[in-house]
Amino acid sequence: MSVRADRPAVPESGLSEKGLSKGTVGVLGAVVIGISCIAPAYTLTAALGPTVAEVGTQLPAVFIAGFLPMLLVALGYRELNRAMPDSGTSFTWATRAFGPWIGWMGGWGLVAATIIVLSNLAAVAVDFFYLLIAQMTGNDGIADLTTNLWVNIPTTLVFLGVACWISYRGMEATKSFQYVLVTFQLVVLTWFAVSAFFHVNNGTAFDATPVSLDWFNPLEVSSFSAFAAGISLSIFIFWGWDVTLTMNEETTNPEKVPGRAATLTVLVIMGIYMICSLAVIAYAGVGTTGLGAGNPDNQESMFAVLAEPIMGPFAILMSLAILSSSAASLQSTLVSPARTMLAMSYYKALPPSLSRISPRFMSPSVATIVAGAVSGAFYVVTRLLSENALWDTITALGLMICFYYGVTALACVWYFRREAFSSVRSFLLKLLAPLVGGVILIVMLVSTARDSMDPDYGSGSSVAGVGTVFILGVGVLLLGAVIMVVMRVRHPGFFKGETIKRLR
Amino acid sequence: MRCLVGYTADGRGAEAIALAAALGGPGAHLDLAIVLPEHTPFSAVYPGGDHGYSSILAETVAAWADEALALVPDGLTARVLARAVSSPAEGLIALAQETGAQVIVLGGRKRHVAGFFAPGSVASALLHSSPVPVAMGSPEAVASLEAAAGRLSRVTVLVGNRAGHKAVVRAGAEAAAAQDLPLRVVSLLAQDDLPSGWALHQAVESTQAAVAGLVTELGIDADVTVASGGSLDEAISDLAWLPGEVAVVGSSRLARKRRLFLGPTAQRMLRTLPVPLVVVPKSYKPASARNEGTPT
Repeated sequence: MSVRADRPAVPESGLSEKGLSKGTVGVLGAVVIGISCIAPAYTLTAALGPTVAEVGTQLPAVFIAGFLPMLLVALGYRELNRAMPDSGTSFTWATRAFGPWIGWMGGWGLVAATIIVLSNLAAVAVDFFYLLIAQMTGNDGIADLTTNLWVNIPTTLVFLGVACWISYRGMEATKSFQYVLVTFQLVVLTWFAVSAFFHVNNGTAFDATPVSLDWFNPLEVSSFSAFAAGISLSIFIFWGWDVTLTMNEETTNPEKVPGRAATLTVLVIMGIYMICSLAVIAYAGVGTTGLGAGNPDNQESMFAVLAEPIMGPFAILMSLAILSSSAASLQSTLVSPARTMLAMSYYKALPPSLSRISPRFMSPSVATIVAGAVSGAFYVVTRLLSENALWDTITALGLMICFYYGVTALACVWYFRREAFSSVRSFLLKLLAPLVGGVILIVMLVSTARDSMDPDYGSGSSVAGVGTVFILGVGVLLLGAVIMVVMRVRHPGFFKGETIKRLR
Repeated sequence: MRCLVGYTADGRGAEAIALAAALGGPGAHLDLAIVLPEHTPFSAVYPGGDHGYSSILAETVAAWADEALALVPDGLTARVLARAVSSPAEGLIALAQETGAQVIVLGGRKRHVAGFFAPGSVASALLHSSPVPVAMGSPEAVASLEAAAGRLSRVTVLVGNRAGHKAVVRAGAEAAAAQDLPLRVVSLLAQDDLPSGWALHQAVESTQAAVAGLVTELGIDADVTVASGGSLDEAISDLAWLPGEVAVVGSSRLARKRRLFLGPTAQRMLRTLPVPLVVVPKSYKPASARNEGTPT
C-alpha cells in the first residue's frame, strides 16, 4: 500500500480565499467596476428609444424613479450576500427561502434575463461594428449591411461564439482595460451631450425643445401603464449598479468602500444619464418624424441615428465606445448564466452534464457553450419573428429583470422574517426596503406583461395577434415552468430538498 | 526525488503522473499541483456575482485531488497542492521553488494537426522560463513507459555539435545514477547545420572526441555515440530507443543563466521523439550541488 503522507480532503491553499486578490480595490476601482457592469454607452443607446416611446419627455423622471426599486432591492441583496456569501445567487437564495419551486424559477429568471441581454448585446455590437466600418471607410452602404439578415445573423452568432470561447478559456478583463473602457465611455457620452446642447444654443438642433422642469415630474407621464413600462425599462439601465454594494473582501476597506463606491457610482451614472437624456430630447424632441426621438425608426438604437448629426465626424468615437462596451459586457455577462446553470445542475436542478468544469481552464465548460448557443438561438428566433428585435428584446428583458429581482427581494424578506424586528436597521434593510422594492417590481411586471399582450405594444410587432414582447417575456417564463416540471419528473432529488434545504 | 506535477483532471494529468512516477523512481515524492486562474475583481461577474461558483469549484477540485492521488503508483508519496495563480506557468515555477522540486512534470504534448506533437501554451511558457528541468510526456512516451512496466531503462542525453553541454550531461548522469541506470550520450550532427567546408565524417570524429573527453572529465560511465544524417530529423530517426528510455536535452544558448529556453533543435526533437523528454536549464546545477534543503 502506498504511503500518502498528507492527503488533504480540501487542497491546502488558495481556495479558501476563493483565489480573490484581497483588499486591492479602492473606491475609484469599485466605481470603475460598477460603471463597467452598467455599460452606460450600451444601455443608453438600447433603452433611450423604447423608454421615450413609453413616457415621452418625462424620460429623466422615469430614469430617476427607476433607480428607487433598484436601490431597495439591492439593499436586500446585500443582506442576503452577507448571510450566505458562498452561494451568492438568486437560485440558492430563493430556494432556501421559498423552497425548490420558486427557487428554480428564480434561477430560471436570472438565466433567461442574461440570455436575452446577451442576444441584445451581441446585436448592438454588430450594428455598431458595421457602422464603425462604414464611418472608417466613408462608405455608408456598409452600415446598412446590418439590416440584411443573411449578414446580420451570422455576424451576431460569430460575436457570441467569440465571447463563448473567451469565457471558456477563463480569460478576464484586466484593471487597465476596465479603466480605459470606462473613461472612454464617459468622455464620449459627455462629448455627445455637450455637442447636442451647442446645437440647441446655435439654433442648429433638429427640433430644439427647451428643457422644462416637467420632464422631471413622473406624475406628468400619460398613464400608469406607460409609467410601469418606463420603470421596468429603466431598471435595465441601472442593472449592474448593485455589484458595487455586494463587493466585500476584495476592497481595501469592506466597511466603507462598498457604500461610498455605490453612492459615487450612482451619482456618476445618474449624471451621465441625465445630461444624455436631456440632450437627446432638447436636440431631437419627441416628434415622430426625421431625427425625432419619438420616431419608431430611431428607437432601436438612438445613438446610431443621433451621433452623426450631433458629433459630426467624431461620431466614430461613439460607435467605438458602444462597440467596445457592448462587446466587453457580452463576455462578462456570459459568465453569469453559465455559472447559474452550473450551480443549478450541481444541486441537481438541471441535467448533470451542465455541471462539468473544464480541468484546464477551470470554467463551466458545457454550461458556457449552452448559454452561448441558447442566446444565439434566441436571437435568431427574435430576429425572424420581429423586425424590431432589439426593441422587443429590451422590453422583454425589463420584464425578466423585474421577475427575478422581485423574487429575490421577496426571498430576502421571507428569509430574514424572524430577525427583521430585532433592530431598526434590520427592519429597514432586511424587511422594509426589499419588501417595497420587490412589490414595486412585481406590480411593474404584472402591469407590463398584461399590457404587452396588445399587438400594438412596444415596437408594434406581434405573433398571432399577441404582442411579441408578451410572447418573449411570458413565453420564456412558461417554458421555464415546463422544463421545471420535466426536471421534477426525471430528477426529483432537488425538488425533494435533498440538495438544498429550505430554511423554515 | 521530489517532482512537481502540473496536474489537470484529464488524460494529460494521468500521463504526467505516470511519467513523474517513472522519473522519480521508487521512493519519490510527487507534489501534484492543480493551478486555478486567479480571479481579478476588475472582471466582475454580473448579474449575480459569484453564483456559488468558488464553493462548487473547490469541491470539484477536492474530488479531482482524490482521483489524482489514486493514480499515484504504490511506493511513492504524494500530496495535492491547489493554488490560484495569475499565470499557470509562473504558478508552477513558484510551487517548484517552494517545494524544492527537482523537476516539473507535464502531461501530454498536444497533438498537432500535422501529426507532430507540439507543447501546449503552459508547457511552452515553462520551456522558455523554468529554473528547474521540465519533463514532458506524450501518449507515445507513456506507451513506451508502460511497455517497461513504468520503470526507466536508460537515460539518453542529446547534445549538439557546439560547446556548452556540460550541465546537461551532468544532469543526465545524476538522473541515471539516482536510479542506477545506464547512460548514453548522443551527439546529433546534421550535414545542413555544419559550417561550409566541413565534411560530415570530420565533424563526427571531432565531436565524438570532444564528448568522450567531457565524459572522462566528469568521471562518469557512459556510452558515447554520434547520430548523423543529412538533416536533424534524419539524424534523430537514426537513433534506436529502448522501452522506458528518457531523453535529456539542454537549453538554447539564448537562455538566461539557470533558466530554461527551448532551442529550435530541441523544439524539433520534441515533436518527433517517441520517449519522454526532459529539458534542463542553462548552467543548471542539480539539487545535490546546491544547498537548498527540502521543505517539509
